[in-house]
Parts: sequence; structure tokens; C-alpha cells
Amino acid sequence: MKTILQKPETFKSSRIKPVWCPGCGDYGVLNALDKTFKTLEFKPENIAVVSGIGCSGRFSHYFNSYSLHGTHGRALPTATGLKTVRPDLHVVTVGGDGDGLSIGGGHIAHAARKNVDLTYIIMDNNIYGLTKGQSSPTTPLGYTTKTAPYGVYEESLNPIAMFLSYDISFIARTTSADMKIMQKILTEAIEHKGFSLVYVMSPCVTYKALPYSKLKEITSPLPEDHDISDKMAAFKYAYSEETMYTGIFYRKEKSCLNERLQEVFQMAETSKTTSEIMAEFK
Amino acid sequence: MGKQILMKGNEALGEAAIIAGCRFYFGYPITPQNEIPAYMSRRLPEVGGTFLQAESEIAAVNMVFGASAAGARVMTSTSSPGMSLKQEGLSYLAGAKLPCVVVNIMRGGPGLGNIAGAQGDYFQATRGGGNGDYRHIVLTPASVQEMAELTVLAFDLADEYRITVLILGDGYLGQISEALTLPEPTGKVFEKPWALTGAKGREPNKIASLKLVPDHVLEEMNLSLERTYNEISSRECRSESYLTEDAEYLLVAYGTSSRICRAAVNELREEGVKAGLFRLITAWPFPAAALKRASLKAKKILTVEMSLGQMIEDVRLSVDNPERVDFYGRSGGMLPETEEIKRRIKAYGN
Repeated sequence: MKTILQKPETFKSSRIKPVWCPGCGDYGVLNALDKTFKTLEFKPENIAVVSGIGCSGRFSHYFNSYSLHGTHGRALPTATGLKTVRPDLHVVTVGGDGDGLSIGGGHIAHAARKNVDLTYIIMDNNIYGLTKGQSSPTTPLGYTTKTAPYGVYEESLNPIAMFLSYDISFIARTTSADMKIMQKILTEAIEHKGFSLVYVMSPCVTYKALPYSKLKEITSPLPEDHDISDKMAAFKYAYSEETMYTGIFYRKEKSCLNERLQEVFQMAETSKTTSEIMAEFK
Repeated sequence: MGKQILMKGNEALGEAAIIAGCRFYFGYPITPQNEIPAYMSRRLPEVGGTFLQAESEIAAVNMVFGASAAGARVMTSTSSPGMSLKQEGLSYLAGAKLPCVVVNIMRGGPGLGNIAGAQGDYFQATRGGGNGDYRHIVLTPASVQEMAELTVLAFDLADEYRITVLILGDGYLGQISEALTLPEPTGKVFEKPWALTGAKGREPNKIASLKLVPDHVLEEMNLSLERTYNEISSRECRSESYLTEDAEYLLVAYGTSSRICRAAVNELREEGVKAGLFRLITAWPFPAAALKRASLKAKKILTVEMSLGQMIEDVRLSVDNPERVDFYGRSGGMLPETEEIKRRIKAYGN
């Protein structure tokens, strides 16, 4: 048995150093998540980080907790499987715009339907960074990439509107530019019971599809009087063309997967057992 | 021994999984294996187990990945087209050395094919449909009794070797009802110090199939997998030799086609023809040594499959004088016929 090598006051691995480019937005997310879990006084054995593939996929290697690095786009089903076996763990699932919104985009709706009690962080850098600069589902229309030499001719997704349609029980957007706000949002997301989605604008400093300078120009916090239980208002802000709003868009309390499974166990206890049903056919 | 009951193959497999301690099942509907998820959805909660209908075959195999990483006994089941979709996940499970049980109740292919039983996925099962150097154990039941017994065995083998065990059945086996005696739990306990559990006071485990640095680490892992595969090959070959000692004509088959061959052997013996049957119980590892022994006296070896000829390659590799090996198969969900097998065997004698 190895003893913990790094100082207990950090969740950042001392053994494996990130290979992200200097200035990458993903460092901000790593730092904010580290601070959040420290503030919440979690221990490494209480947390599991699940990741898929891409720059975001490395995240699980860099975090001092249980970690599971799975297949491309399937971090959510993998985390769902883990969570059903270990409901006591705080599961943080990490993906990017390629992993989470392109190849794995179909899983978000179903994690939302199950309301799996986990936090899904999507770090959107608007590009495929690890494979060196191909278009992603959130690369702006017209932007030139390795696979769009004449400019991207598909429209960019509106992920927040998508998440609202799926009725995800906690939806927030934040940016790597403001650590304090990201930490505040992550804290609320982790404390939220059910599926929480934290969508982080995490600029790629190498391929610059949406650089920090541009991000600062277009983002603005949601108005203070935004009612986070008002889904139609949240849709309105999600569809805003002139401003990319940040903050908590929507939150709803509902039963989560593990609670629903407990109900199923109770129903199975009081209903006829399979052997009783089989006995009737003897 | 318990008393005999009547069960459908798919349901017997489900009950056997529960007997083996499987408490997590993730699956997606596809015919002809739908009785497995239906059975598990009702039965698992009775024993405190979790059933989830996944949004896709791909989601299901990745849920298996997550549950296995946490140390659980976990299963998924599907039929041929669904098995294709699971291949990436199976490769990653192999790379992360995670145990699980996967069931393929084969149907006619390629493509959507049809829903009748077939054996067209032998190559995929034994050569691996996913990327990279990996293997999984492949068990081939031929009766409802064996669907149950091999399922219990599958969970022990998976945990012992940290490997995927594939139960390769077909639509006929899944759908027939037969009398069986449910197997007892084996009671074997496997420690899982690698799982995502029990990290208080030590560094939490990390599970990944990514082996980037240093350069040689992936080859080392592959060589360690190879050692496991070699150990499995030397210890876990299973087969049945039926009337092979003096057999001049040897039939080789597995699963449903082996049942048809057995009927042909019995009828040929009644007519005085020295026929025998060699039946696979493991398709990987392939029981080559046992087949070689069983084929010693054979003038002709007829491989019978519900495909256009896949297992025959392993048969040819296993026996001396492979020019003795002949083939009869039906595909697309059609069954080989006893009369045709007999006709061919008799023709060899003329």
C-alpha cells in the first residue's frame, strides 16, 4: 500500500503534471475544483473523477482521487455505472466540447432523465485541441480550422438551451477567466442533489477559436433578479444573441437515480417474487 | 442437487447470473435476447441489485466499465448487431484489466440480418472486434442447463483473470425451454485491491487504458496481458468428446449446431458408421490439444457451423493432416440438417 505522496492540502497530483499548453483554460478548472473540494473538506477517498478523451480526458490523471479514464464520449454512462455501485462517492465527470457535445452528446439527455447524482463539467474550448485544431460542434461559424480551411460551415450548438430542454436539474455556465465565480458555482453544483451540469468556457490558447479577449467582450453575468426556477426566463437568456450570459441558469429539486432505485427495491420487496410467480405455473 | 424446473435459455442465464452474485446489469433491447433484460429488471431488485436500461449498446458497455471499476460483478447482454457496437468498450475493458460478463445471443447477419439464431460472430468473438492486442474468454453453451452453468463459471473466470468473459449463445438456445437444475453458487471470493474502493489512508486507485509514458509501459502491460492469456490457454480449455475414441468420421461443432451433430452421430452409429462428435465449450481458448486427440483415428473431419465457415480455421490449425477437414454450414438463421450431415458422412465412405 502506497501512502499519499502529496500534501493533504491539495487534490492536484504531485506525480503527474498536466501536459496542457501554458495558459490553457483547463488549468483554471483544475484549480477551481481543487479549491472547491478543499473548502468543502472532502477527502480523496470520497471523490471519483471520470473522464473521456481529449484534452479534458487527462483531467482524471491529474486529480488526487479515485479516477476512471474511459472511452471517447462515454464518460457519463461510465460514471453512471460507477455511481450505481458506489452511491457514497461524489462523482465528478469531465469532458470537452468534442467528447461531451459531439461523439458523446447523446448521453447527456439520458443522464438527465435518470437524474444521476453527479456533477458533469464540460470544458468548452471550441476546438479539438489534442488532435491539433479540428472543428468542434461549438467552433464559431466561419472560423478556419484544420478541417475547415474555408471556414466552418456548420452552425455552432447552443449547449445551454440543449441542457434546458433535457430538464437537467442544475445548469450553469462560467468561464476560466474568473476563478472565484467558478468555485462558487462548482460548490453549488457539487452540493446539488441530482445531475448538475457546469459548462465552462475554457479557451484554447493554441487554436484560439474563442480567445479570452473575445470571451471577455461577449460574456456578462445573468441579471441579479434572474429567477433560477424560471425555465422560460432561462431559455430567453440562453438564446440571447448579443450576450453570452454566465451564472446559474436553472435549478430544480427532484428525486435522483439512487432514490428511485431505493423505491424500486421497496416495491420488489412487497410484490410477488419471481419464484412465487414461477410456482403458480407448476 | 436441486430439483428440475422448466426455463427458457435466456431466463436461465439471467437466474444463473444472480446465483453467481451479479448485482448490476446494464442492457439495451434487441431480439432474440430480450428475455434477459426483462428477467433482470424484475429479478435484480428482489435481491437488492440494480438494473438500468441504457440509452444504447455503447452506453451499456460503458456502464459495465464504471461498475466493474468499482469492484462489482456486472453483466450486459445483447445480440449480434449490438455486439458490434460494444467492441470499443470491450477493448478498453481489456486495456484497463476489468472483469465482466458479456452475453451475445447471436442472430443472422451481416447487417441487421434477421432474428433467427446463427453463429456468424465466431471470428468477432475469438479474434476480437475491438482495437489492440487482447483476448476474451469465450464460452459456448449448447443447452439451457449449460446456459446456466457456464454463466456461473463465467463470473468466476472473469474475476480470477480480470478479463471479459463472453457467453456466445445463439437465438435458438436463448428461446428454447428445457428442464434444468439451477446451479449452486461456487462460493469463490476474489479480492479486488485494484478497484475504486477502500482508499482510506492510502492513495486512491486510478483506472485507465491510456499508457503514454514512459515509452515501454504499454508493451509491458501487453506482455503481462499475454502472460494471463497464456495461463488461460493452458488451464481453461473446455470441450466434450462424444464417441470419439474409435471415430472414423469426426464432427466438430458448438452450440445449437452441436446438438444437430449429436443426433446425426447417434443415427449413424445405429447404422454402424463410426461417427463421433467433438464439441467446443470454450471457443477461446480453443481446445486444440483435445481436438487433436479426438481426431487421431478420423478419416474425415466435418466441421458444422451455422455460418459459412469460421471455426473451421481453428479446426484446421489444430489437427494433423488438415486436408481431412471438410465443411458443412448454413447461414442467415438457417439450421444444418441431420440428414445432410449423414449423407455427407456416408459419401466419405464410398
